[in-house]
Amino acid sequence: MNPEIPLSTSTSPVAQPSRQYAAPIAGQSGHIAIDQIRIAFGTGKQSFLAVENFSLEIEPGEFVCLIGPSGCGKSTVLNSIAGFITPTQGTVSVDNRQIDGPGGDRGMVFQQPSLFPWKTVLGNVAHGPLMAGKSKAVAHGIAQDFLEMVGLANFKKHYPMMLSGGMQQRVAIARALANSPQVLLMDEPFGALDAQTRFMMQENLLKLWQDLKTTVVFVTHDIDEAIFLADRVVVMSANPGRILKDISIPLPRPRAIEILLDQKFATLKKDCFDLIRQESLLAFEQQKIGT
Amino acid sequence: MGISKQRQQLLNRWAFILSIPLFFGGWEIISRSGMVNPVLFPPPTLVALALYKWATQGPLLVDIAMSLSRVLVGFISGAVAGILIGILTGRYQFIANLLTPVFQLLRPIPPIAFVPIVILWFGLSELGKWFLVFWGVFFTVWIAAHLGVQRVDKTLIRAAQCLGTPEQKMLPEVLLPGAMPYILVGLRTSVSISFYTLVAAELAGTFSGIAYRIDIAQQNLQVGQSLGGLIILGLISAMADKAFGVFSKKMVWWS
Repeated sequence: MNPEIPLSTSTSPVAQPSRQYAAPIAGQSGHIAIDQIRIAFGTGKQSFLAVENFSLEIEPGEFVCLIGPSGCGKSTVLNSIAGFITPTQGTVSVDNRQIDGPGGDRGMVFQQPSLFPWKTVLGNVAHGPLMAGKSKAVAHGIAQDFLEMVGLANFKKHYPMMLSGGMQQRVAIARALANSPQVLLMDEPFGALDAQTRFMMQENLLKLWQDLKTTVVFVTHDIDEAIFLADRVVVMSANPGRILKDISIPLPRPRAIEILLDQKFATLKKDCFDLIRQESLLAFEQQKIGT
Repeated sequence: MGISKQRQQLLNRWAFILSIPLFFGGWEIISRSGMVNPVLFPPPTLVALALYKWATQGPLLVDIAMSLSRVLVGFISGAVAGILIGILTGRYQFIANLLTPVFQLLRPIPPIAFVPIVILWFGLSELGKWFLVFWGVFFTVWIAAHLGVQRVDKTLIRAAQCLGTPEQKMLPEVLLPGAMPYILVGLRTSVSISFYTLVAAELAGTFSGIAYRIDIAQQNLQVGQSLGGLIILGLISAMADKAFGVFSKKMVWWS
């Protein structure tokens, strides 16, 4: 009927005109450049090299998953983009601005929902816009829109402890997105959820991402999750953390959970699995020798 | 013995109902039995009479008002200062390094030990009473707020930073509510501390107040009024504790 609306609009904001605030970010922002970083913790003999010689460029609007065995430094890299950790060497920049601390331009979702227990669901989601200097009415309007996007508008007056773990994590995602960040950082956000809830959350996240076009960096140790979500899967190795392989995922979008049964999916999964298995075995052997 | 469960529950309920009447009844009987000197250990009926006289012909209301005002001024100023400084020392290492050694040095000094100095500094004025109660409350609340801030979930602080919370907003938005459960424990302890500091403050020299009246009545061998004063002190302090419990629930409405 309307030729201006492309085919994929069933999930775009055009189809939901009531959402005033939850619109894609204008322009091409959200470019991440990680240049030759090295991150070490501690000093002297106690020092531990977590990440070395790590470079990665992420285009605006891209969805990138970092994956690897535990201890490979994937969370450390994410924390350096968030600004919680300053690299010992090298630089991390977002939209050509070097990161020197945490800020509202980079939203983060943690493994635990980490909602403010003293604020209602609406108050939690409105927190970012309020801190950005928006009026209470506008901030609540934004919060309302994002709660609708994660399907929790009916729970806006509840306190976090009254919600299930999955619902809390949806509030946490809405809270991070309500700030209109250029970059969304996610640190194993679905790791603590049961399998059914996790599938639902993954599909919901992809829908949000397709609506908002935010750059997403997603850390996980679940290969299925990484391939299902990402444009690119970056496989890391441990001791010290570095990039083993940067695999692009050419699966068509929008993706539904059935894609897990696709032959192409299986091939990609095998590639990742073999890489990580080799690394895990290597790490296991090293631990046995005691290096 | 074969007492049925129902019977046992009934007995338990009656034990609760009769607890206080039995206490006063026993006291009345012992006082009037001739086993003790009734002048030094008057029965509760005479204590009640002394209280009634104190209320109708004496300054009971003024005494209560004076004692309460001393507790309130000392408690509130001590609590506000303790919370503010506790949040600062809990959050900023520099302020902690600057103040903590001094506070740890002063904290163990019992407020009662200050009474002679306080009389020299403030004479018999109200300022001296407020100071003593403040001293008793401040350190307890400071320690509670300091530890409370340090125990706020680190991820919660990180989440706030990622949402663009500026450092000066961190205090009211995250640190204060996050530390509130700990602060309330400190405040509740301080309620009873402020009442026994009050007693020391009033014994040191004043012209009104419940503890002052207990002291004066003792000097006149009006033991009934002394005991009545103790009961009033007990009641006020118990009511303050109860009221604080209600206040606490309101302050941590989310848990």
